[in-house]
Amino acid sequence: MTVPVELERHIDEIVTHYPPDKTRAATLWLCHLLQEYFGFLGDEQVLWISNKLGLQPINVWEVVTFYPMFTTKPHGKFHVKVCRTLSCELCGCKNIVAHLRKKLGVGLDENTTDGLFTISTVECLALCGTGPVMMINDETFENLTTEKVDAIIDRIRTTGRLDAQPLPMPLAAHPLEKRVLLSNITKPGYTGSLADYEREGGYTALRKALAMKPDEIVAEVKNSEIRGRGGAGFPCGLKWSFLAKGTGKPVYLVCNADESEPGTFKDRQLISYDPHLLIEGILISCHAVGAKVAYIYIRGEMPGGAKILQKAIEEARAKGYVGNGVEIYVHRGAGAYICGEETGLIESLEGKRAYPRIKPPFPAVVGLFGCPTVVNNVETLANIPHIINKGSTWFKTMGVSGSTGTRLVCVSGPVKRPGYYEFEMGKLTLRQLIFDVCGGLKDGRTLKGVIPGGSSMPVMKADQIDVPLDFESLRKAGTMAGSGGIIVLDDSVDIVGATLNVAQFYAHESCGQCTPCREGTLWMEKMLHRIERGEGRPLDVEMLYEVADNIDGKTICPLGEAAAWPVKAFVTKYREEFEKHGG
Amino acid sequence: MADNTVNLTIDDKAVVAPKGMNLIEAAKLVGIEIPHYCYHPKLCIAGNCRMCLVDVGMPKLGADRKPEIGSDGKMVVMFGPKLVIGCNTTVADGMVVLTKSPKVVKAREGVMEFLLINHPLDCPICDQAGECRLQEFSVDYGKAESRFVEEKVHKPKKTALNAKITLDDERCILCSRCIRFMRDVAGQDCLGFIQRGSHSTLTCYLGNEPKTNYDLNIVDICPVGALTSNDFRFQQRVWFLKQTKSICPNCATGCNTVIWSREDVVYRQTPRDNNDVNQCWMCDYGRINYKFINDPHRLTTPSVKSATLGQRVNLTWPEAIRQVVDKLRAAKRDSLAVIGSARATTEELYLLKKFSPSFAAYIPRVGTGDNFLLNTDRNPNAAGAMLTGFSSDYSVIADGIADGKIKTLIVLGEDAIVPELLAKLELLIVLDILPGKTTEAAHYILPGVTFAEKSGTFINAKNRIQRLNPAIPPLVGTKPEHLILSALLAELGGKRYATIQEVFADMTRDVPALAGLNLSKIGDSGVEVKS
Repeated sequence: MTVPVELERHIDEIVTHYPPDKTRAATLWLCHLLQEYFGFLGDEQVLWISNKLGLQPINVWEVVTFYPMFTTKPHGKFHVKVCRTLSCELCGCKNIVAHLRKKLGVGLDENTTDGLFTISTVECLALCGTGPVMMINDETFENLTTEKVDAIIDRIRTTGRLDAQPLPMPLAAHPLEKRVLLSNITKPGYTGSLADYEREGGYTALRKALAMKPDEIVAEVKNSEIRGRGGAGFPCGLKWSFLAKGTGKPVYLVCNADESEPGTFKDRQLISYDPHLLIEGILISCHAVGAKVAYIYIRGEMPGGAKILQKAIEEARAKGYVGNGVEIYVHRGAGAYICGEETGLIESLEGKRAYPRIKPPFPAVVGLFGCPTVVNNVETLANIPHIINKGSTWFKTMGVSGSTGTRLVCVSGPVKRPGYYEFEMGKLTLRQLIFDVCGGLKDGRTLKGVIPGGSSMPVMKADQIDVPLDFESLRKAGTMAGSGGIIVLDDSVDIVGATLNVAQFYAHESCGQCTPCREGTLWMEKMLHRIERGEGRPLDVEMLYEVADNIDGKTICPLGEAAAWPVKAFVTKYREEFEKHGG
Repeated sequence: MADNTVNLTIDDKAVVAPKGMNLIEAAKLVGIEIPHYCYHPKLCIAGNCRMCLVDVGMPKLGADRKPEIGSDGKMVVMFGPKLVIGCNTTVADGMVVLTKSPKVVKAREGVMEFLLINHPLDCPICDQAGECRLQEFSVDYGKAESRFVEEKVHKPKKTALNAKITLDDERCILCSRCIRFMRDVAGQDCLGFIQRGSHSTLTCYLGNEPKTNYDLNIVDICPVGALTSNDFRFQQRVWFLKQTKSICPNCATGCNTVIWSREDVVYRQTPRDNNDVNQCWMCDYGRINYKFINDPHRLTTPSVKSATLGQRVNLTWPEAIRQVVDKLRAAKRDSLAVIGSARATTEELYLLKKFSPSFAAYIPRVGTGDNFLLNTDRNPNAAGAMLTGFSSDYSVIADGIADGKIKTLIVLGEDAIVPELLAKLELLIVLDILPGKTTEAAHYILPGVTFAEKSGTFINAKNRIQRLNPAIPPLVGTKPEHLILSALLAELGGKRYATIQEVFADMTRDVPALAGLNLSKIGDSGVEVKS
């Protein structure tokens, strides 16, 4: 096996992104690069990587087999990956898969005899508003129809190559929206370049912040009462203030861009259309917490986003924003929802299986490479320049007490206008969002239920949606704002099928580290498969609930709850539908 | 020391525990077992099995910072919303821990059920049966019948992890003890999990199998039947085996062991906890090196080499003792030498030395050490030999035989002097367990027993005296060496020792380092002697 000089040079450069004694962290990057070149990761590639990084081969093999984006056998030249998760299923992705299989004459994960194509289903690609979606290699195709699929495949067959897909036009704002983070993206001619960003006042917050003491920035952010936008809603300023001080170790800032909660596709928009907002937010936050190095952990299924960020970092470097005391590196994931959990992310960043850590200690004390670490979501960090520029008092004029500022929400499922929106928190109800902003349901259907914060959050029935969209109101309604991914279910949806789809996602994404989640998620999936087939038995519903309950609260990380809550809610609120299936 | 301890309550029992101790260990202090799989006191915390979930609360403090008392007159305790794992929760002052509350029991039952749904439930053909934690806890927390009706996950079965160990991935509960042991203790990062979720599978990378001298410890710490020792597989059900506390005789570390035997046969040796010696580990070299106990070539009868017939003639024990005593009486005391083995017990060496105050040596035995448990000194009792007056320089004896100064030699369990020299001796008496060049040359053979068949002590490289206990009776026809030597000495006019305790008592008078000791003081875990 020969690795071209050029590629090895690139690899050697990547390795320098990590501390000299922590180069294991480069494992995922090396896997990506070698797979890109060789088409797969076999014995030779594994041994090459372990030699390069001074690891044992098992260390690399554990990683290769953990992340679904890595393959140990060659795929077809064009790997067609169709999202199978809930929002896309509601939009008919099963038809797309069936059509592709018929057209290409292969089963899932089989290569066509000409070696051109492989079809796989994958979990949520964070494009839920434009489903069904698929990726072919690194390119993304949205709003699929069978005709569109034919055209795409036929074109590849005739030309023998894959065309680069342009970014879609950003969505225009709805009158009820309050766009702060998304304020730039629809401005005429705005490209997200550094020049465009600066023309709109970009990087003035950084200059202002650099003149402030770190403590003053932390105080400002604390005072803004901004809560984390990743899913748990933990106050950001408080998180920063937990950082261990005087340890003599470096502090790291990690941007969590592993957006993978089904129904959520907001961070993708910020990265795609206004990357410098995120970069500026990171630079200010690094100054505030004393970090010299920041990593952006972007999910592997967003190769375009990784390139955009890389380009933005280079632009910022040319201007002296990056590289003068603060470095920012892009670190790509490889297809694991669990990397959205901050300690799973840290393990993954360190080049390991993304096994969430037991806490304590928390990352603020022992985080990345054993050092104090802050992990913040993309949207959270994108708020920081605005808070610094206009002040925390201004920030608090938006939203309601306990939920300050705006929030990006993503709507998917059978509504007339799915997509991403930005609202002041608590100023709009779920009903307004669905019926006024999104235009109500398609095709004269009626509403059956709504998942309000990504598929892990308990579903709400159609009569529960007169609730304002903010952290506390949703909590009081027995669910959570989560990641802002709102999935709408209409009266045509089979709840058992929807529950199965969600259960399948969490079983696939369970890292397998701790017992209840590892065993329980797959058990739930298997039971739901059986019930869906019509082979439900008396007491299955009770058993399903009990299995979910035996996972809930017993696991190392919140994936346990994420898997248990939706099942418990579906079973409780739509029990009759399960019984109809014989369950 | 009040400063280093905390007071807490576990299931209504007051516990005083050292600061920093986890709840599993603290509960042990008051005899409460918190069930667990992944936790192991000598390995880093993994927290993955979730079996040790317990309910932990702290007293509610009033405005005066003192615990609030409820209407029932009891302290008000604020319990957390979630259960916590005992392995990763350290004791705190005032903490209240419930290990048997309905909430805890329900969680444990849930975990047990999860562990069993994909388990093959093949106990009748599983070698771990009888010492399987999964079996034990499912008796306490399992259901009689499984409500799991789906297809189980299938994984590789009966694969060779290496030449010593068989792996059954379907039985594995993914606790990662073996991974952590190989990486952190044995120093070979070679085991890992591949795939993910319910399909996670323990394995090693092909061509990079465990190859340390400590691999078999992962069989001991595997809480289930996933890792089994090829040496012991299908030999015996463990519940038929008798356990005897012993000491590994294969180097000067003196790892504390358990000998597992049934009737006259030893089936395995496993390590026994002793933080001052071997923690809870032992090396594979020592562990496997016990087969000589049941070697079919064992010497089983005293014999004499007949000068007239030119061949060996078997003797009864009384006859053998009588003849040897007669010969020894005739031999000149100053031409008599003894070679003792540093694999012999201190008591045997002490008695042997009485035959020859002038020439007494043992045979050093050196190998490669590893700075962990395996000592370069492969004798288990060189310290005992030196304390009882044996020199490590046995060339004096070889030279003495060569130049005719030494005419009589008693050899205890060694085979080191070349036959040409042995041929020059007027009288050669050998106590041993297996035939060799020395027994071949011997005028008298007196068959002794192995470490597994006798009482006595070894003194290790760190001057710790530790006890052997007989696991099996002496092989028919053999006698423990201290009894043979004692019988000879008695006939020669010395004291007759009936028991090992009597020998030990005399030894403590003659060997200052052992003053004040007796076998019960040494106990199961040994004591350090003055060097």
